[in-house]
Amino acid sequence: MNSAVIEVLAPRYGIAWYPWAVQYFFLIAVSYSALLLTVPGLLFGRKNYESLAKVALLVTVSCTLVGPVALLADLHQPLRFWHFYANLTPWSWMSIGSLLLPVYLMLVVAYAWLAWRPAMQVQAQSEGWIAKISGWVCLGQWQAPRWMLVVAGLGALVLSVGIMVYTGAEVAIVKARPLWNTHWLPVMFVLTGVVAAAGLVILINRLMTGNDRDVNEQSLKVIVVTMILSALVAALWISEGITGFSPSVEQAFASLQRNPEWRAVAIYGLLVGIALTLTAIVMLRRPGWLGRSWIAGLLAVHIGWTFRWMVLMEVQTVAKNTAGYYHYAIEAGSSGLMGIIGTFGLWLAALLIIDILVPWKKSLQAGAH
Amino acid sequence: MDKIRRALLGQIAKLTAGAALVPLSSLASAGINDQPPRREGDPEKRYGMLIDLRACIGCQACTVSCHIENEAPLGSFRTIVSQYEVEHDETGDSATFMLPRLCNHCENPPCVPVCPVQATFQRKDGIVVVDSDVCVGCAYCVQACPYDARFINEYTQTADKCTFCAHRLDVGLLPACVESCVGGARIIGDIRDPDSQISRMMKEHYSELMVLKPEMGTAPHVFYLGMDERFVSRPDAKPAIWDVRDQQGEEIGYEFSGH
Ligand code: SF4
Ligand code: SF4
Ligand code: SF4
Repeated sequence: MNSAVIEVLAPRYGIAWYPWAVQYFFLIAVSYSALLLTVPGLLFGRKNYESLAKVALLVTVSCTLVGPVALLADLHQPLRFWHFYANLTPWSWMSIGSLLLPVYLMLVVAYAWLAWRPAMQVQAQSEGWIAKISGWVCLGQWQAPRWMLVVAGLGALVLSVGIMVYTGAEVAIVKARPLWNTHWLPVMFVLTGVVAAAGLVILINRLMTGNDRDVNEQSLKVIVVTMILSALVAALWISEGITGFSPSVEQAFASLQRNPEWRAVAIYGLLVGIALTLTAIVMLRRPGWLGRSWIAGLLAVHIGWTFRWMVLMEVQTVAKNTAGYYHYAIEAGSSGLMGIIGTFGLWLAALLIIDILVPWKKSLQAGAH
Repeated sequence: MDKIRRALLGQIAKLTAGAALVPLSSLASAGINDQPPRREGDPEKRYGMLIDLRACIGCQACTVSCHIENEAPLGSFRTIVSQYEVEHDETGDSATFMLPRLCNHCENPPCVPVCPVQATFQRKDGIVVVDSDVCVGCAYCVQACPYDARFINEYTQTADKCTFCAHRLDVGLLPACVESCVGGARIIGDIRDPDSQISRMMKEHYSELMVLKPEMGTAPHVFYLGMDERFVSRPDAKPAIWDVRDQQGEEIGYEFSGH
């Protein structure tokens, strides 16, 4: 019809999930992805992957510990978290997640504890307060058999699949937001999570260890492969929208029609993705450049985090009923900027405390046998 | 949206309004994200609302009375009347269109199964409510509602929404918005009772009734009479009083900016 429609008074709806949610989704994805990176070196005991496993283990433990804090903070009634366990709701993905998360956390901690324990037991022999704490943390000088580590590791891996599925499904089932309602979203969460985890491993490798070449090389390879897979998935997702194969994706595109900001975001994503992939490939080809892998690491973390920011925050600014887009200006308070900085601060604190207490650079339990 | 698409949506809108009348007998399978069993409320009844848009003058009396009755925080609304100005491109003629919005008390409400603590539930009489003593404020239901009918109440920090004024219905009163409607546009009642005003009107206007966003498969129970198909889903419109920020990104005179 040839008419222009104006919505005279459009109410403004606030966003309902705050940046805390981004922090949780980011940290938990890095957590399960870094856990995967520990597998060859720690679980399979492959010597040439041990350095990678050491850094990845530190990353997975620190993120696993801090992630749930961000999740709790995103509740408007955080002190009621026990309601999750008092009212088990097996048909709600979020409720399922609330059951998986603590088990996953405990298994990851147990896995790391068993891996770090031999070195901590040695540390406990010396003098000083760190030795004393190490002694307490080790719970004695008895030898933990390797099967315990394997069981904890396998258990954590199984649970991590649960975490991947639930965090993805939780968002992807929301029909009300066509931009979320696609089965490709959980896949993209995992892929970008792996990219970010590999990136973070490279950064920690640069900052806290001697910028180990193997770690850089292996992580860059992971980044290249996952970026190529991400590109494939993105292409499939877009083609579903263009061909109308998936009505929800088509709707999602329609909801962004003629919006220059979203177009800019898509182009930016494409460019950064290409930049990261090319950087990683070039660095792998030129051994002399491996030492600068941290550049790729930064880009990778940026992609993993920004993907979640766009998906979780920006999508909330697409109005469901009314005309136009809501503006979301990040607030300075605890639900906004402080939340983001606070979570990263907490993560850094966790990282440093582990670094002080745990001789994580020493050989892992896998190497002790 | 092109013409054909719009016409199609209009068709679906009509069809779904009809389908909603057939009670969804059993949704109780054990799958994730399926509708859980209903609880509380009178199983003999099914409340619904019919909004006769021909009688709505867009005065927002319902918005105000609902606000006072249900003590919603400033800037959050359980109901609001969207007002559109439609201008014909060639003739320049303009007309206004009023669209009262509230919770649709859907027959298949996506806000219910997502709730991780069963704070949001559907009563046997079809009314979807939130138990604010149980709600953890995760806002998952706010995301899941396709109609923006929910919000987090900044006083209680829990989910809030239209309850069809269940507290009033249960003692034989009409909802605040119905009571205060100047044009008598809002008709609430038991659609299972063939003699209720809503049932009679639905029967009379059966083929003209429409619901919002039928493509979401929610089977809304707020039915619109005199609806324009272009407004059934997110309308292709420009917001007028919307841009509350100036060029520096600062908020300009938004009435409720004090939060
Ligand atoms: S309109 Fe929204 S809040 Fe109301 S029942 Fe439907 S989905 Fe739930
Ligand atoms: S905000 Fe409250 S009512 Fe809504 S899903 Fe979360 S716990 Fe349930
Ligand atoms: S029925 Fe009650 S809660 Fe719902 S819109 Fe009307 S006044 Fe508000």
